[in-house]
Amino acid sequence: MTGRDADGRGFGGSDGFSGSGDSNGSNGSNGSDGSWRPAPSWRPAIAMAARNLRRNRVRTVLAVLGVCIGVLAVATLGIFGNVLALGADDAIGDVGTQIVLSPNADAGIESISDADVAEIRRAVGEPAVVPLYTDGALVSGPTEQTFTTVYGVEEPALAFEAEEGRLPERHRQGAIVGAGVAEDLGVDVGDTVEIEGAQIRIVAVLAETQTFSPVAPDDAVFLPESAFVADGYDQVLVVSESGGEAREAAESIRESVNAREDRVDIFELAALVDEIDEFFDLLGTFLLGLGGISLVVAGVSILNVMLMSTVERRQEIGVMRAVGVRRRDVLRVLLAEAGLIGAAGAVLGTVLTALIVVAFLFATPAETAVVLDPTNGYYLLLALGFGVGVGIVSGAYPAWKAANERPVEALRD
Amino acid sequence: MYSLELRDVYKQYAGGVDPVVALAGVDFAVEPGEFVAVIGPSGSGKSTLLNVCGLLDDPTDGRRLIDGTDVTDLSERERTAARKESIGFVFQDFHLIPTLSAVENVALPTAFDPGDATDRAAALLDRFGLGDRLDHDPTELSGGQKQRVAIARSLINEPDVLLADEPTGNLDTETGEAILGEFERVRADGVAVVAVTHDELVEEYADRVVELTDGVLSGGVRTDGTDDTDGAAEDDAEATEPDSPWLAGDGGEP
Repeated sequence: MTGRDADGRGFGGSDGFSGSGDSNGSNGSNGSDGSWRPAPSWRPAIAMAARNLRRNRVRTVLAVLGVCIGVLAVATLGIFGNVLALGADDAIGDVGTQIVLSPNADAGIESISDADVAEIRRAVGEPAVVPLYTDGALVSGPTEQTFTTVYGVEEPALAFEAEEGRLPERHRQGAIVGAGVAEDLGVDVGDTVEIEGAQIRIVAVLAETQTFSPVAPDDAVFLPESAFVADGYDQVLVVSESGGEAREAAESIRESVNAREDRVDIFELAALVDEIDEFFDLLGTFLLGLGGISLVVAGVSILNVMLMSTVERRQEIGVMRAVGVRRRDVLRVLLAEAGLIGAAGAVLGTVLTALIVVAFLFATPAETAVVLDPTNGYYLLLALGFGVGVGIVSGAYPAWKAANERPVEALRD
Repeated sequence: MYSLELRDVYKQYAGGVDPVVALAGVDFAVEPGEFVAVIGPSGSGKSTLLNVCGLLDDPTDGRRLIDGTDVTDLSERERTAARKESIGFVFQDFHLIPTLSAVENVALPTAFDPGDATDRAAALLDRFGLGDRLDHDPTELSGGQKQRVAIARSLINEPDVLLADEPTGNLDTETGEAILGEFERVRADGVAVVAVTHDELVEEYADRVVELTDGVLSGGVRTDGTDDTDGAAEDDAEATEPDSPWLAGDGGEP
């Protein structure tokens, strides 16, 4: 036969062509300077894709609008659900994490002894255990007076937060005043109040609790334990980090302190809070799903647009293939078109969502903290990612189909 | 060495009960700088011949060589690379990309390569008298100008062969003649030109006219003295003679 390969001129791996393709691929997708730039091999594809999209502006704009609405739906509904859940969490507050133990009067137990407290501490482990004496007393300020609950507490910092002053590690002297009482009496840190005839200086005012708590500290005054003369505690507060921990603590107490007889009544709402959380999770998922449907519809519209445009440009793609443009590059151009539609729609939808959230903030009494919670940003990012993803996923099939068509077929009239 | 060579090429399409035979033992060879016109009635397999020559379609049987390299059995990827490197296409409908300017259309085959071929493309357009039309869109060009852009595009990678499918089919006589004049310049650079045509004008410009009838090509390979040599399928005895151009060509290769 002839010297078929004698001159060593191959069209596959040995010529410069495929070699240059490989070097493109290894350049990675990011510029090394940190700012995002398309990989060199994608740049011509994106430029060409952008021009192709401009060819039929109305169609492109409508497809972008579809993605925009989908992203808007996912992001707003996602954030809406999240704000509801956060708001509910905020309102439920400590109910879920605090359990309150009181002596079981039915069993003839009048108070919780030091031994009981020690056993409770052993049982619950991690959560803080704050035993309380409880009484009621008339508290007088300079001008006003009010009847409030008076608690005796040794370690107030474990369960409460100060607005003014500082909560002592060990409460030895002075009064800690709930926010409501302080307001009613018109007193502040440094002032004195009169309780049962004794003048007591205020060392701290508690932060207002906007939530329901088993021990309502707003309308209470906290004194050192030494102010009380009693055999045992009237209540024990167990403060946990989470609802789950609170439930475990309650369970431990049932199995230890209450093992033989019910020495303490356990007041816990963690289970209820879990139910509520679960409901809001479900609601959030439902809303997200609702938004997701519109995103799927947007995906279908991209699929439609891309299929139509690849069918229209069949010959053009055939010519590109004929003159030596690789399948991979045709695929890139078409994927870039779908990706650009997705990205444009996603960015537009995200910006609109952000505006809507800001408007929501001004228009309703919703709490700023809840609306601007970082977890809402997660929904924005999620929607943004989904928008771009939907573009690429629904662009993949038309792109693959067009790129793999044999140029002979595509060029045939 | 031939720029392009087909040896006993068959092409069958599976269709219906009987396979359709588009090429039946075609021997075809084009030398560098040679202009060959392929004529024949519709359905005679002209397009198939051009597609097989241009690596757009693979032969069912036989060998295909470009510039002495066997390119019969290439993968899809290799065929694309070979087309890009060695083959230029010119179509009847010009087939320019409407979103790209003239110079970008010329550079299209290299658009996805690293490096910028704009200067080379501009120089080519300049050579074809379109130096002042570089940034024009295809819609702003006349038919003759479009075909010149297409020719420039086919030359961007300095191919061995330019394959033209009815290059003058959509042009008036005068413009067609001008385009054929451009082909003269292309072949002056050593590029072989194969044009499938119905146009008698093309035949006038061609060095050689070969006729394809029902998949059988006559005059596919130039003989030394006489004008025509029957294809191997038609006349085995002649094709296997020692002084056949096949063997002479083969023997001449290192």
